[in-house]
Amino acid sequence: MENESKKNNGKVILGVGILAAAIVLLAVLYSVFREKPVEGTKSITIQVAGPEEEKTEYALKTDAEYLRQAMEEAEGLTFSGQESEYGMMVDTVNGLTADYNADGAYWSFYVNGEYCNNGIDSQPVADGDTFSIVYTIE
Amino acid sequence: MKMSTKKTTKTPEEGLWGRGGGRLAVRDLALIGVMVAVIEVSKAALAFLPNIELTSFWIILFTLFFGWRIVLVVPAFILIEGAVYGFGLWWVMYLYAWPLLALLAWIFRKRESVWFWSILSGAFGLSFGLLCALPYVVIGTTEGGLGGGLHAGFTWWVAGIPWDIAHAVGNFVLMRVLYRPVRGAVRRVEHAKGGL
Repeated sequence: MENESKKNNGKVILGVGILAAAIVLLAVLYSVFREKPVEGTKSITIQVAGPEEEKTEYALKTDAEYLRQAMEEAEGLTFSGQESEYGMMVDTVNGLTADYNADGAYWSFYVNGEYCNNGIDSQPVADGDTFSIVYTIE
Repeated sequence: MKMSTKKTTKTPEEGLWGRGGGRLAVRDLALIGVMVAVIEVSKAALAFLPNIELTSFWIILFTLFFGWRIVLVVPAFILIEGAVYGFGLWWVMYLYAWPLLALLAWIFRKRESVWFWSILSGAFGLSFGLLCALPYVVIGTTEGGLGGGLHAGFTWWVAGIPWDIAHAVGNFVLMRVLYRPVRGAVRRVEHAKGGL
């Protein structure tokens, strides 16, 4: 009777062990063969200049079509703003809010040194572009 | 006029698996309806947890408890799923994956160990993605030969492995926790009614 019980326990442990081993095997297969994210094909730079003209630079490779997606992909860069029919009107970058109503401050955007006439949702991204986000007071 | 009466006595095993007269009794139909409803409701209730499902649990238990009726329950469940969610490629996978589980449960119907059924249910969950990759192998083969088909199926299967692992763990735990209480409840009812 006791032998029978021991035999059954052995079978249970073996069964659970095989299932656990199969799970581990699949996890290994997944980590080896899963589709790895492909690095973007366009190299761009995003610079952020604060009120004291201190600059932070983000270099990244991206497949983003528009600046907003590239900004979202830039590690360490945070931003927010009001959504409008022209896309997001950025008012806060890296935690710093530009309040136009208080002191005429706003975030202006430049692409390769030229003032950017598009919103971040419609500004195209090309390989080699440098975008500047500058804290500006009128 | 003298009428001959023929008495038949069935063993519990024959009652579950031998249909005898070959006619579907109203009680069978009702039972099948309830089983399909239980599967559908459980599936909808757990839909918010990806790959954690009670369908495997119920198909195994219904096969063990209600025998041949599973042959009608599984197709009914598959048809309802197709009607509700659309007859897509995933539906083709349902056509063989769930019947396979019922078949496995039937083959091992003599087993009573909760651990056995937990392991079987877990293994089924773990292999669900592999089973479902078969149509992709077939489609890939028609487009790019056997090599292309196997690659397509393998890629599809690997991408879903995390979900298969969740499926395996969910199936194992649910069976381990629910098998005994549900089996006990069904046996109590069976005892009270004198057999289902």
